[in-house]
Amino acid sequence: MAALLLTGCADSYHWSSSHPAYARAPYGELAITGLQKAFVLTRTKWFANRLDFGDSTQIKATEFCSKAMEHEFRGGYVKLSILPDSVLDNAPEESQKLDARIFMKGKLPEQGVIVTAPDGSVPPQILLIHEVIIGTDLKRENFFDYALIHNELEDKRDVKNISAIVSYTLWDNLKQRPLFSAVDEIQHPVTLKLTLTDLEQLMRQTVQQIRKNMYQGAGK
Amino acid sequence: MKHLSLVAFIFVLLSQAFFANKANAKDVYFDSKWTLWQNADILIWTPDKEAALDPKEFCLSLRRYNSGIGEPKCRLFGEWERDTVAMRYATWLSNNIEAGLEPHHLKARHPAMMAKFQTLEDKIVLYVADKGNHLLIAVFDENSSEPQAAGTVIKTPDKIAQGDEVANAFFGHHTKRRLTKEERLKMESEPDDLYKETPTFRSWAGISAGYAQAQIPLTPSSWYRRHIRSRVGDYRVTKDSVSLWNFMDDSTPLFTLYAGGIWFGFIGGEIFYRYSNHAVKTDDRDSIYEELDHWNFAQHEVGLNVMFARTYEPFKWMDLHLFAFLGFQYSFYSEDIELKDSKKNPSREYETRFKTEDPYKGALFGFGTQCVFLHHYGLSVRTGISSRGKDVYVEPSPDAAAEPTTIGATTVDWFISVGLEYHWTPFR
Repeated sequence: MAALLLTGCADSYHWSSSHPAYARAPYGELAITGLQKAFVLTRTKWFANRLDFGDSTQIKATEFCSKAMEHEFRGGYVKLSILPDSVLDNAPEESQKLDARIFMKGKLPEQGVIVTAPDGSVPPQILLIHEVIIGTDLKRENFFDYALIHNELEDKRDVKNISAIVSYTLWDNLKQRPLFSAVDEIQHPVTLKLTLTDLEQLMRQTVQQIRKNMYQGAGK
Repeated sequence: MKHLSLVAFIFVLLSQAFFANKANAKDVYFDSKWTLWQNADILIWTPDKEAALDPKEFCLSLRRYNSGIGEPKCRLFGEWERDTVAMRYATWLSNNIEAGLEPHHLKARHPAMMAKFQTLEDKIVLYVADKGNHLLIAVFDENSSEPQAAGTVIKTPDKIAQGDEVANAFFGHHTKRRLTKEERLKMESEPDDLYKETPTFRSWAGISAGYAQAQIPLTPSSWYRRHIRSRVGDYRVTKDSVSLWNFMDDSTPLFTLYAGGIWFGFIGGEIFYRYSNHAVKTDDRDSIYEELDHWNFAQHEVGLNVMFARTYEPFKWMDLHLFAFLGFQYSFYSEDIELKDSKKNPSREYETRFKTEDPYKGALFGFGTQCVFLHHYGLSVRTGISSRGKDVYVEPSPDAAAEPTTIGATTVDWFISVGLEYHWTPFR
């Protein structure tokens, strides 16, 4: 009981919300969109000094992360289709409420409009990746709690972790409703030297976290 | 065999329950307390080719099932049936209305659709979708882009019975008279009940009754015992003359007249007059007092307080002001002494009895609360500590021994009082 109370106090935010009709996590088959534009690298200079991308670290690093994430998802689902970001081009940006002060922004398809893949098929469920913020020692409340988002953050000199904050929605394409929405925060410790493997690891953990949450959120 | 019959019995019971459930023609998923207007304008909106409800028959059903509805008008909502955005939402609703959902799960997300709901102006939209053996029903009004009510009814080919079903399930509650254009405008310009500006200046006058004593609550009585128990001998003798309470009774009723004002509900001032009457504590064992009829001191005090307040509004009809005050006062004692009629000449001790300083200077501080009802009638409770004193140092004089003693260098007491006040705001 005491432990329950303590954990309750330690993390007072709700970082996900499930639709009452979300009974089962996607298994085997999934479509993903958002991998082209969702990635943002913060502290670009810090990363540029440590990773050997040459110029335009922002573009290359996010591309790298996007590829790593896609690769990791492919390992998890037999039938994975990647939809281009353009399927949501006409949708307005909306916010979804996860907690009293937590709002997550992202484009959702229109009610009554079914998203079709470029090849004409209709994926039953689409994982909409809204935003992936990559940086060092990031905390998700600083990005999603509206009372905190205007606070200026200091860049800490000693970096303990590289982190990713990902916001996503599992979309029921047939009934056009959000089944599961969440914001996840993933920390990957930086040891002596930052390498591309670390970034890859971070993306792997991110995908694992997303999948884990989608399972835990089902049937709630 | 016994078991079998028991099982059969339970089966019959269960199947009965099942069929009873099936026969239940309506199933309301949620129904907020939306406003059903008298002479309602009802717009029937459907994604189907042909509406499952007949507007005319439905109007008649409404009048049959809700006697307060007056003369409702019903028609098909053609404007929305020809609109792409509305039709998409209608189709979506038809796929999404399920048991167990909250209204916000069924909210219209498209900005154009939300705008449509806002322009409904007292009209009620009745959404009807044909799902084969049952109809999905939802009710919308201008207040929100979520359905106010949703549920299902069993479909029947008989349009009259169908209208009755829907009217019975969703239009049963009390009706309200619709406001006219003028009333509506007036309602919009009416101020919010809870909205109130703090007046620039608020003033009050009051009268209070209370009680004062030397002992401050929660302090040990040993601090005061010496003063309180002290008695006056020979009209001037006590153990010391530091406190007036060596000579006079400290615990008396206290009456106050006061008036004050406060700026912005925060900083204010108060002027007051306090009155109390103190009997002298003559020593009964001293036979010299046999000549005396009575001996009292009336205490008059005038002073000025500075106060700091904070206002709370727990109810519309009551304001609560909590305040702390700090001030100074002048105390005057007027002696009331009289000899017995039989006694013509007073004793020598009588002539050299102790006397009080002309004015005593003192300070007071404390806190309190004013509850102001209906902006004017206040009930105030306050408590504090007040002091009075004089300069201790006096020029030594050769005949000091023959002079009367001037008493009360430092006197402190505690008081509490309850007052009735009248509050007003002379300017805003």
